[in-house]
Amino acid sequence: MSLGPVLFLAFFGIAAIWFGVVVFRTQSMVRSAIALLFSQTSVGAMFLVMQAEFLGVLQIMMMATEMSVMAIFMVMFMMDPGGMGKMDMTHQKRLSLRAGGIGLVAALVVIWTAGWQGPVPEVPGADEQARMLGREILGRSMFIFESAALMILTAMIAATMVAVAPQERDRP
Amino acid sequence: MSIVLVLLALAIGCYLVAVFEGWAVHGRFSLMRPAISALALLGREQILPRTPDRLFFETGPILLLVAGLLSVAVIPLAPGLIITDLAIGALFLNAALAYVLVALIMAGWGPNGAYAMVGGWRFLGQFIAYAMLIVMPITAVAMRAESLSTTQIVLSQAALWNVVYQPIGFVLFVIAALGVAWLPPIDLPTGGGDLAGGVEAEYTGARLAVWRLARLVIVVALSGATVTFYFGGWLGPWLPGWAWTALKTVAVAAAMLTLGRHLPRLREERYLAVSWKLGISLALANIFLVGVIALLVPI
Repeated sequence: MSLGPVLFLAFFGIAAIWFGVVVFRTQSMVRSAIALLFSQTSVGAMFLVMQAEFLGVLQIMMMATEMSVMAIFMVMFMMDPGGMGKMDMTHQKRLSLRAGGIGLVAALVVIWTAGWQGPVPEVPGADEQARMLGREILGRSMFIFESAALMILTAMIAATMVAVAPQERDRP
Repeated sequence: MSIVLVLLALAIGCYLVAVFEGWAVHGRFSLMRPAISALALLGREQILPRTPDRLFFETGPILLLVAGLLSVAVIPLAPGLIITDLAIGALFLNAALAYVLVALIMAGWGPNGAYAMVGGWRFLGQFIAYAMLIVMPITAVAMRAESLSTTQIVLSQAALWNVVYQPIGFVLFVIAALGVAWLPPIDLPTGGGDLAGGVEAEYTGARLAVWRLARLVIVVALSGATVTFYFGGWLGPWLPGWAWTALKTVAVAAAMLTLGRHLPRLREERYLAVSWKLGISLALANIFLVGVIALLVPI
């Protein structure tokens, strides 16, 4: 990998982490959700730098919609969505610190001990990548994707059921 | 070079769309009105609302403009006359348009005003309605072209335009496109009748000028996308390719701007109900039909 892509990769990686930090540093729920969105967008940009066009664009597209939907849920369920009342977003600090520390150590162990094979010499073209992804999703990984889709559909129906206010006539 | 030409074409297209919109709204055709309005907006005082989320307030219009410009990048004007011919152009267009939603939520939340906020969140509801209807017809278009590249999609329509090949997909795409650009009868986030401008309510001066320009870019981008996906892009006899694209894009934009004005405004829950119960079923049927036709008749 030449220097240019490595620099871009590092830039977007640091941007992803920085926006991730902003998620917890801001008091506003909407700012928090949008910061998480831009953190994920940076990850999508990292995919693009690594020439995984389809995955990168998909990541950038999906996150825009998902985080926006998450923002409205956060606004609906929090007492102080604008962060004007100086509500503290953090809690269980000691437990979180420990869990975060263990996660960091585990990630570092995996990074240092895994046998990385180095960057592939030849990246297939974007259209070829899309074709290979399609074959993968409709072949070996079909069951995983279908079961995930079913779970998401169940969650959507359940969320709608919870959100709909019960009518007078439905009550016993 | 093609970047400059596409941007120039975009600027002319935006101006024409502004002229048409003025004609549709005010009933008077004036070539000068958009220029005068823009100058007036730039000269006006820029009022900042009390305790705004300044970052969102300033970023909203700019993000909207960036989203529009990015979506234009993959629309071909003629063979070779495209900013970037991505192999996954159709998906990229979707990704860019997804940030219209983010921009509207930011612009709605930013000014700390009730009307703006209601408008912004309304657009989220509107998005839930149109999201599937913009992706699923594009899926059927890509199925016929066997490619996500916008250039390939145009070339696949050499024998027959997609508007004839998959009319259900075309109708759904146009309804969804009206939703993306919040054009009447689906102009809920700015809803003139009840929200006093909605997301636009707190913007004044240069910020409003950027916002309106961005909206024009999005209308042109969506018209260009409709032409690319359904009206054979640059294909046509006698005239050069770019002229066909320009003519078709202006015609589609004019139709999108005027037709909806004769319909009563849709309420968002009705738009949601119709989109999900009827729209998605039709979009699935469209994908199935296109699949069967593509297998049986090689056009």
